[in-house]
Amino acid sequence: MPGKSAQHDIELIIEDVGGEGGGKPPRRDGGDDDADRGGGGRRDSASSPQRRYYTALAVGIVAILMFFMALASAYIVRRGSAAEWTAIHVPAILWLNTFMLLLSSATLEFARRKLAKGDLAAFRNLWMVTTILGVLFLAGQYVAWRQLQAQGVFIATNPASSFFYVFTGAHAVHLFGGVAALFYVAVRKFEKAKISRWAAAEVASYYWHFMDALWVFLLALIYVGR
Amino acid sequence: MYYADAGMRFSTDHKAIGLQYLWLGLFSAFVGMALSLLLRFGLAGRLPILADLAGAPQRNGTLAVLHGSLMVFFVLTAAPQAGFGNYFLPLQIGAREIAFPGLNRVTLVATVLSFGIIAASFFLPTAEAGLNLWIIGVAVFCLASLANAVNFSVTVIDLRGAGMTLPRLPLTVWAWFINALLSMLIFSILLASSVLLLADRFAGTHFFSYSMRTYLAVPAPVVPAAFLEAVQQALWQRLFWFFAQAQVYVAMLPCFGIVTHLLATFARRPVWKERAVALALCAVGVCGFCIWGEHMFSSGLNPDSPLVFAVLAASLGLPAFVLVLSWLGTLWKARLQLTTAALFSVGFVALFLTGGVSGVLLARSDIARVAASSNFVTGHFHLVMGISATFALLAALFFWFPKMFGRRLNETLGKAHFGLTFAGVYCVFLPMHWLGLAQTREIPGGPLASAEVPTFISVAMMVTIAAQLIFLWNLAWSLLRGEKAAGCNPWRATTLEWSVPSPPPPGDFGATIPAVYRGAYEFGVPAASEVSGCFREDFRPQYLAPDEAAAT
Repeated sequence: MPGKSAQHDIELIIEDVGGEGGGKPPRRDGGDDDADRGGGGRRDSASSPQRRYYTALAVGIVAILMFFMALASAYIVRRGSAAEWTAIHVPAILWLNTFMLLLSSATLEFARRKLAKGDLAAFRNLWMVTTILGVLFLAGQYVAWRQLQAQGVFIATNPASSFFYVFTGAHAVHLFGGVAALFYVAVRKFEKAKISRWAAAEVASYYWHFMDALWVFLLALIYVGR
Repeated sequence: MYYADAGMRFSTDHKAIGLQYLWLGLFSAFVGMALSLLLRFGLAGRLPILADLAGAPQRNGTLAVLHGSLMVFFVLTAAPQAGFGNYFLPLQIGAREIAFPGLNRVTLVATVLSFGIIAASFFLPTAEAGLNLWIIGVAVFCLASLANAVNFSVTVIDLRGAGMTLPRLPLTVWAWFINALLSMLIFSILLASSVLLLADRFAGTHFFSYSMRTYLAVPAPVVPAAFLEAVQQALWQRLFWFFAQAQVYVAMLPCFGIVTHLLATFARRPVWKERAVALALCAVGVCGFCIWGEHMFSSGLNPDSPLVFAVLAASLGLPAFVLVLSWLGTLWKARLQLTTAALFSVGFVALFLTGGVSGVLLARSDIARVAASSNFVTGHFHLVMGISATFALLAALFFWFPKMFGRRLNETLGKAHFGLTFAGVYCVFLPMHWLGLAQTREIPGGPLASAEVPTFISVAMMVTIAAQLIFLWNLAWSLLRGEKAAGCNPWRATTLEWSVPSPPPPGDFGATIPAVYRGAYEFGVPAASEVSGCFREDFRPQYLAPDEAAAT
C-alpha cells in the first residue's frame, strides 16, 4: 500500500493482532486488500478443505488420551490404595503382539514413503501388510485373553485382572477403529471422496502410531504395576 | 416440523439438525416439568392419584433422577450447545456447513437414542435394572457429546471465513468453542467412568462397588434389606450428581456467551472489556476441568458432596465476577431496548447473581455440610444452573426466532410469560433456601419452618408452570401466524447470520461468503453518521467493508 503513512501500517498491525473490541470509531483504512491483510488467521476453506481432517484427528487424539488417562489414573489410585493386590501373570504372547504392532508402524511408514513417491502398487502392498499385522495383533490379544481364562483368571477375579481386561479391551476397540481406517484407505478409490488419498493415509497413519504408542504405555503400566 | 421443504428432515444441513436438537430440548423441558410436578405432589402426598404413581420411596428417587437427567442432558446441555450452536455457529463464522455434516447427523441420532434409553430406564421393574440402562444411556450421550465437540472445534479452527480472526469472533462462538474443548475433556472422563461402572454392574468387577463396600464397612448379609434399598437410592442420586457436577460448566458456558451477545445488541453498546470476557470464558473452562478431574480421582465415589459444592462455588467465583462486571458495564448508562429477549437476558443476570450470593454461603463448609442435601442446595442449583440457563435459552430463542423461522414471537405474550416466570421461579426457589437454612440452624417452630412455606412453594410452582402454557401458545401461534420479520436484520445486530435471508437458504450464504472487516460488537458508533452521513445506523455489521461505511 504505497503512499500511506506509517500510522496506517500500525493500525493494520493492531487489527491483525487483536481487533480492539467494539467501541472505537471506525477505522478509515480503506483498500481492497484489507480483507486479506486483516484476516491474519484467515483460512481459505476452499483451497485447503483437507485441513479439517488433521484438526479432527488432533482433537480426537486428545479426547482418547483423556479417556485412557482416566482409566490409568483409576488404576494408579487403586493400585496404591489396595491392601491386597494379586498380580496377574502377563501372558508371553503379549510380547509377540507388541512386536507385531511396532513392526506394523514401520511398514506403515514405508508405505507412506512409497505413496509420496507415487508408487501406488508398492504402497498398496505395504499398506495391506500393515493392515494384516493389525488384525494379527487383535487376534493375538484374543489369544492372550483365552490363555488367562484357561488359567482361571477372569475379569472379575481380582482388581489386577479387571484392569487388565478393561485396558486391553478398550485399546482393542480403539485399535479396531484403526484397522477399519487402514482398510478404508487400502480399498477406497479416492476419485469421488471428499478426503484425498494422501490426507487419508496421513491421518490414518498418525492415528495408528498413536495407538501403537498408547499400547506401549498401557503395557508398561500393566507390567510395572504387577 | 417447520422446514423449507420436507427433505430437510433427514438432511445433514446444520440448521435442520440444530432445530431438531431444539425440539428435543423443548420436549424434554416439558416432560421434566411434568415430572417435577409429580415429584412435588408425590412428596407432599396431597393428591392421592399422583401419590400412588410416585408414592414408593424408591420411585421418588428414580423420578428425581429422571427429572434431573432429562433437564440437565437434553435441555441444559444439548439445547444451548448442540441446538443453537449447530444452527448459528457456522452462520456466525461465515461457513456454509459444519466440518463433518454426516457425523453431525449420526450424533443427533445418538442423542435421541440416549434420550430414549434414559427415559426407558424409568419404566423397568427394578431400580437395579433401571440404573444399568440409565448408565448405558449416559454413555451414549457422552459419545454423542464427544462427536459434537470434535465437530464444533474443527469447525471453529478450520472453517472460519475470510477475515474472521479469533478476536473478531462473536463471544457466542467463543463460548461454543471453549465449551466444545471442555466437553471433549470432560465427556471422555465420564465415558471412562461409565465403562468402569458398567464393568462393575455387568462383569462383576469392583471398581466402584469396592469403595461402596469399604464405605459401609460391613459385610453385605448383615445389612438389613431396607437399608440396602436406601443405599441404592442414595447411589442413584449420587451417581447423578457425579455426572451433573461437570455438566454445570458445560451447561453454563454457552449461556454466558449468549447473554453477553444479547446484552450488547440490545443495549446498543459494545461488550464492556470484550477481551476480558473471552479470557473469563476460557477460565471457566479451565476451572471446570481441573475441579472435575481432581474430584473424580482423589475421592472416587466419595459422598462428601458438600466439599465438592464448596470448591465448585468458589472456583467459578473469579471468572464469574469478571462476566458479571462486564454485563453490568455494558448495561451501565445504556438505553436498553426492553424486548423480551433483553428481559430474559437481564433475568439471567439477576438469577445468576442470586445463585452466586447463595453460592458464597455454600462455600462455607460448615453450612454446606449440613445443608448439602437439603432444600438449600436444591434451591441454589435450580436458580443458578437450571433456571438461569433456561432464561438464557429463552432469550436466545426470542432473539433468533426471526432468523430461524422468518417470523417473530409475539412480544406482548413474551413479556407476560417473562414476568410470570421471573416472579414465579423466585417464589419457588427462594423459600427453599429459607427452608434449608431453617433446617440447618434447627430453629424449631420458627416462622421459617412453618407449614405454610411448602404450600406457598407448591402454589407458586403451579402458577409458574401454568405460565409456560403462554409460551407454548406463543410459540405455536407465532410459528404459523406470527408477524413476519422485516428484512434480514430486525434487531439491527452485527454478526454474519443477519446478512442472509430468514430462514437462511441451504448453503447459508449466497454466491459468496461475506468477508469480515471488523469486530463483532461495533455498536453505538456516532461518528458513522456524523462524518459523511452515509451509513445512518448506530452499528457496524461485521460484513460492512470500510469503504462502504464511508461512502455508501
